[in-house]
This record gives sequence, structure tokens and C-alpha cells, in this order.
Amino acid sequence: MTEALNTRGAPHLPSRISVQRVMRWVCLALVPATLAHLYYFGLGILIQMILATGSAYLFEWWCLRWRQQPLRPFLTDLSALVTAWLFVLCISPVAPWYVAVVGMFFAIVVAKHLYGGLGNNIFNPAMVGFAVILIAFPQAMSLWLPPSGLMEANPSLGLGELMSWIFMGAPTAGIDAVTAATPLSAILTGLQQGFALSEIVTQPIFGDFGGQGWEWIANWLFLGGLVLWYKGIITWHVPAAVLMTTIAAATPFYLFNGDLYLAPQQHIFAGGTMLAAFFIATDPTSGCSSDRGKIIFGAGVAILTVLIRNFGSYPDAIAFAVLLMNMAAPMIDRLTIPQPYGKKPQDPHHG
Amino acid sequence: MSGRLSHFHGGLVLRHHKQSSCQPECQSAGIPEQLMLALSTPRGSQSKALVQVGERVLKGQVMAHPDGHFGMVVHAPTSGHISAITEAATARADAPSGPCILLQPDGQDEWLETTPSPLPTDPAAIIERIQAAGIIGMGGAGFPTHIKYQQLQVGPTTLIINGAECEPYISCDERLMLDHPSEIINGTRWLLQAAQADRAIIAIEDNIGGVKSQLDAAIKAQQLADIEVVKVPTIYPTGGEKQLIKVLTGREVPSGQTPLALGLIMQNVATAKAVHDAIEHGRPLLERVVTVTGDSVAEPRNYWALIGTPMRHLLDLAGCDWAQTDKLIVGGPMMGYAMPDADIGIEKTTNCLLALPTACTKPELQAMPCIRCGDCVQVCPQELLPQQLFWYINGNDQTNDLEKAREHHLFDCIECGACSWVCPSHINLVDFYRYAKSEITYLDQKKQKANLAKQRHDDREARLARIKAERQAKRRQKTAKLTDKSSAKQEISAVLARIKQQSKEAADD
Repeated sequence: MTEALNTRGAPHLPSRISVQRVMRWVCLALVPATLAHLYYFGLGILIQMILATGSAYLFEWWCLRWRQQPLRPFLTDLSALVTAWLFVLCISPVAPWYVAVVGMFFAIVVAKHLYGGLGNNIFNPAMVGFAVILIAFPQAMSLWLPPSGLMEANPSLGLGELMSWIFMGAPTAGIDAVTAATPLSAILTGLQQGFALSEIVTQPIFGDFGGQGWEWIANWLFLGGLVLWYKGIITWHVPAAVLMTTIAAATPFYLFNGDLYLAPQQHIFAGGTMLAAFFIATDPTSGCSSDRGKIIFGAGVAILTVLIRNFGSYPDAIAFAVLLMNMAAPMIDRLTIPQPYGKKPQDPHHG
Repeated sequence: MSGRLSHFHGGLVLRHHKQSSCQPECQSAGIPEQLMLALSTPRGSQSKALVQVGERVLKGQVMAHPDGHFGMVVHAPTSGHISAITEAATARADAPSGPCILLQPDGQDEWLETTPSPLPTDPAAIIERIQAAGIIGMGGAGFPTHIKYQQLQVGPTTLIINGAECEPYISCDERLMLDHPSEIINGTRWLLQAAQADRAIIAIEDNIGGVKSQLDAAIKAQQLADIEVVKVPTIYPTGGEKQLIKVLTGREVPSGQTPLALGLIMQNVATAKAVHDAIEHGRPLLERVVTVTGDSVAEPRNYWALIGTPMRHLLDLAGCDWAQTDKLIVGGPMMGYAMPDADIGIEKTTNCLLALPTACTKPELQAMPCIRCGDCVQVCPQELLPQQLFWYINGNDQTNDLEKAREHHLFDCIECGACSWVCPSHINLVDFYRYAKSEITYLDQKKQKANLAKQRHDDREARLARIKAERQAKRRQKTAKLTDKSSAKQEISAVLARIKQQSKEAADD
């Protein structure tokens, strides 16, 4: 009766939103690009997904127990799934099994839980995992499959062959016949060997804009990103800043020497730029808070990516660019606190 | 109004839930068995009781006088006997309990005999009449109406009559505008005179149908050119003072100031109606329209209820199913206050009683960590960074972190609850902001006191040191005179010479 009236504070109406719902939308938005990946590069990504997700949840469970956190809400929030998924989209579909396990160890245990768990990580966990394996296993990371429909010899590798490749090691004989570099590493290698960019991009893997298969994955990532924006999961600031700054930063180099520096569209479509723009630099936990801060953050990621790709020794750069900007995010936040209602410097009707 | 409206940042589009309570006729809630009249007022002031326990009071008789700046005049809503003056729960969030007059109605509803006074002619007389009628802001904040006009500076002034009930479920203002448009317009006219304002804007939400034509007709009938009805978009919290001003004028009330800084003065429509009653009929504020609604209520409706009517009386009239009621909320679902029980009297600011069963209230959910998704930033009508505020407040009672919250403009938060509403981690953010505000205010006061004490201590030390130094200087002067041989000799020889002189003079005589 009335003695039992509930006096909990406002707001009083139930709502259907949850962390899980946010993460679910991110996963759904990744589905089209993942299907495209599956189409162009075969079943490898499925095996990597199982490996990464499995180890991610094992580490997550272990860390939660060790930190004496409630298991149910945190194991069902889908955040570990998002981390694993983003990581898998970055790595080679035929990477050896330990790549996913080591990557997830650094993502979940080090980058996430050692910093205080969900919502407290300074660095993007998936990018920490990816950066670690880029440095630790450069060989494995450079070994990609050619996109389907390119080489006669490219047998869409059967499940059995893939499994033995991933778990037992790459075949030593005839490996060149079944592997190919990623477009960006092909460019880097080509440039190092003294070829001009115009010569390099005549290779069939380069497709129309950035790379056969790759550009289509990028298109589907763009579509998924639009869905996230439409559903209000992300705002336009980071993706717009990343994409527009990439074009703005890449164009002068390209105009200066088109044989040495990538064209803007190659920057956008060839590597991880689209993934970074919509799914990685938009990670709110490790990014900036205000609209202005987000634009600066996105622009920083783009500039660093272009600079590292043009001058660095790594073919792609999104992991390093994002991690460097993660470091800068707290300072950007401090410098971009928006002026609230009633505190704006100029009131047009006043004075 | 040139017809061009501005808009404020963020906000929420919510389901209205107003139809069911607004459609039925507004009924009188009658005279309940007991009235509970609070003597404490929204801004921490109190009214002083002028009546004794056992005394018979007549309808309209003054029972309490303001005691302090924000106090208000309390009238007897009906005739009856004072049964007690005691501490009781209030219907407000700012003070859970306070002194209260319990009035036992005798059912005769006998008015106090008064001689009708002539209509006031100058602003001061209007303001005095408003104060004497016990009128305070009826939109929720309960700011004493007359004070706004006393603080008014000379200059072009616009009066805004707020008919925008931004919260879902509440429909008392809409019903009042439908039923009494000409009284509201007339009250507005009196307020225009009191403020010596050039014009008045009556703001209503665009989702309420017939209200505008009703008000327009009343304006036309009275041939008033300086009052205009404007429809504003129904976005929560449009009805908030700051947000409505932004929508209507495109300007922002400077932080920490009142709308008077912009030459604006805002009143609720119910206040305008009360002003009409007070001035034209000499009737003090004795009753108000209250929306009684929610899924626990069989027949949602608006009631004319005497101030002090127990909530239980109103809810029983509307057929409340107590057994399944989980929450009884005073106000709306976004900012309303969940009452501990229903035996509490309504106040002049009580616009809505919302009874909700368990299925319709927010369940107790495990709050997840903030993932800084920024949804709160998108909806905040004050353009704050709620997630950053939370970051600095949560789990920190160190002042330097609360200082950061202040740097992030904590005190510009209007506690509308939009951030809590959209938070996917189910964090009751507004609770944290309220805590931090009171904590910072407390620490500030403590610091101020400590500074004052330190100042006093330092002053005293300085004074003592000065006195000591002065004393020492004097003593030093004296000893210096004595120790310095030449000056001592001089002094002695001077004295000897004087004595010689005197003895010589004495000998000469």
C-alpha cells in the first residue's frame, strides 16, 4: 500500500536504452563490411573472429573475477565483442592463431582492465592490441590473401587449408602463389625498391580507388557508419573531420609528387581510414567530449595517418595515429570546454 | 514577435500523455476533511502563523504572514477550525518537511467580510495587491511574484506568460487556458501594467489544439494590441525559463542572473489567472488546477483543488488503485519528486499528481560505468558536458575534482534530467550534480568561514604586534635618552642651570 511508495529520484519513466544497445548497433553496422571481407578474402575472417572473440571473453571473464566485478552486466554489454571485431577487421585473415590471442590479451587485459575497465580506458583497446602485434609480428601481418577473382591460382582456400595455415603455420612451398600484399604495403615495398607510384598501382590488386576488394569493404564501412550516425550512436564530427582532413592533408603531397605520395582517394579507400573514421576514432571513451574536441581529434588522426603513411616505415598508420591522439585527448578536452548557455562571450543583441 | 523563433541546444521529444487528463471537464475537488497548509516556502523562507490552535478562521482570512524575504501570505482556503500547527511533510523536493497549519473545514465555506477595494491605478498598488493575495509563481519554482516587479529596472520590458508545460502528463495549464482564456488575458493586462512593459507574449506549445484560438478570441474581445500568442515547438524542456526565452527572443539569460537582465519578466498562466482573481474580485490565492493522472488512476482529470488538499483526497476522487501504485510523483516524470506517502497537502506550486504502477516506472537498474558516449551532451539544453561533470564528481570527494566540475560550469545545470533520461549506462546523473552543488556550496561556506577566522586572527596578531612595537619604541626612546651620556649631561646641566636661575631670582627678590 502507500507505505511502500517508491521514492527513487527522477526521471521516473522506464527507458529502453542501454550500453548493450549501443554496442549492438556498432556490431550491426560492422556486418556489411564483414560480409564483403568474407566475399573477397574467404573464410579466414570467421576463424579469426572465433579466435579473437573467444580469447577476448576469456580474458574479460578472468579480469572481472580478478577485479571482483559483477560478471553478468559486464559480460553481456557486448563491449568485448566490439573490441574483438574491430581488431579482426584490421588483421590478416590468415594470421597465425597466437596473433589474435596476444592482441586480445593486450586489448582486454592491459588496455582495458588495467586502466579500470569499461569506460576508463585511455587508449582504444582494439588499437592497442593491433599496434602490439604490428610491432611483434610484422611478418605475419604482411602476409595477406589476394582478393578473390584476381589470380587464377587463388583457390578460395578451403576451410581445412585455412585451419592448418592458421594453427600449424603458413605453407613454406608455393606461398607466393597464394598470398599477396595489402595495397598499402605493396606501395611501400614498391617505393622502397625505387618504383614510381604510377607504376606500382598498375598491379591488379589496386582496383579503382584504393584496392580491389578493399575499396568495397570501405564502402560498406561507410554505409555502416551512416547507420550509426542516423541512429545517433555517433555524431558527424569525427568521421567528417577524419575524411576531410585526410583529403586536405594528402592532396598537397600528391600534387607535389604523385609518384612518391599517395593520392587522396587511395588514402581513403586503401587502408583502415574508413574503419578509423566511423568505428575507431569515434570510440567515445578514448576520444574527446565536446564537438570542437571531436573535430580536432579526428583531424589529428587524419594528419598523423597521412604523415606516417607518407614518411614512416609502416604501410598503414591508423593504429598509431589513433593511439597518439588518445594521448592528446585529455588535453584537447581541457582546452575545448564549450561555453554553456548564458556564458557565451558575445551576445549579438547585447552591447 | 516577427514570427521567427530560435531554438535551444539539445532537448528531448517525449510522448505527451496529456490527452487523457486534459480532455475531461475540470471538476471541483470539493472540501476535503482536512487541509494541510505548509508555512515553509520554496526558497527556504517561512511564513509566521497569526492564528492559534482551536481558533475559527473564515475563508480568505490571513493565517500567516511572510517572515523573511521570500515568505508568502497564507490564507484560509475555506472556513473551519485550526486543529494543529505542526511539523509535516511538504510536497516539495527542497525541504522534505516543514511547519504546517492543519485546518478542519466546517463545511460552511463562509467568506471573511471585506469591503471591496477600488481597482489599483499605479504599478506599486498592483504589486501590493498581488503580494497581499499570497500569489507566488505557480509554474513550479514558487518565486514570490511581487519581488520580480520590485527588482525591475526602468527600461523597455517584455512580459512573457509561460503556457508551455514541457513535461509529459501535466495538462493543468492547458485546461486552464481552455476554460478561462479571458481571465488569463485580463491578468496579463494587469501584469503588463505592473511591469510597465511594452508588450506581452503568451507562449504555448504547438501540440495543444484549441488553446490559441481561445486566447486570440479573448485578446480580440478586449481589443488588446500589445498581447500576442506564440506557438513554440514541443521539445522538452521548452517550458524552462531559460529555454523559453532563448526560443522566443534568441537571447540567453546571462549565467547567474535573472531574465530581468534582458528586460524580460516571466509568469506562468496560472499566476496570470490568480492575478486577475486578486485584483478584479479581491480573491486571494485559495485554489489551483491540479492534474491527477498516471496509469494507476482510473479517470485522469484536472481538478480545482483548495490549497492544502491532501493528495490522497484528489487521487481517490480520480479512482487511484493504491494497491498497484509504485510511485506517487509531484510534478512530471522528468523533474518530479516521488512522495513518501499521499497524506501531504498540495501547495500553490503543485501542478500535477502522477501515480504510476510498477510497470510504468523506471526499474532499479545496475548502473554501468560511463562510457562517455556523449548522448548527454547532445541533449543538454544548457550546452554542458554532463559526462565530464560526472567524471569529476563520481567517487571523488576531494575538492580539487569538484573544482573541476565547477570549471565545467556545474552551476549552470538546470537539473532538467535530459541527460539521465538518455544515459545508456543508467546513471542518475542529476543526483550527482545536486550532490556536487550542495557539497561545493558547503565547502565554499566553510572556506569563507575559515578565511574570515584567519583574517580575524591575523588582524589580532598584527594589532598586538603593533602595540608591542609601539611600546617598545617608547621604552627604547626613554632608555636611549638616559644611556646617551652627552644628552644626559646636557639635560642635567640644563636642569642645574634652571635651578640656579630660579635660586638667583629668589635671592634677587
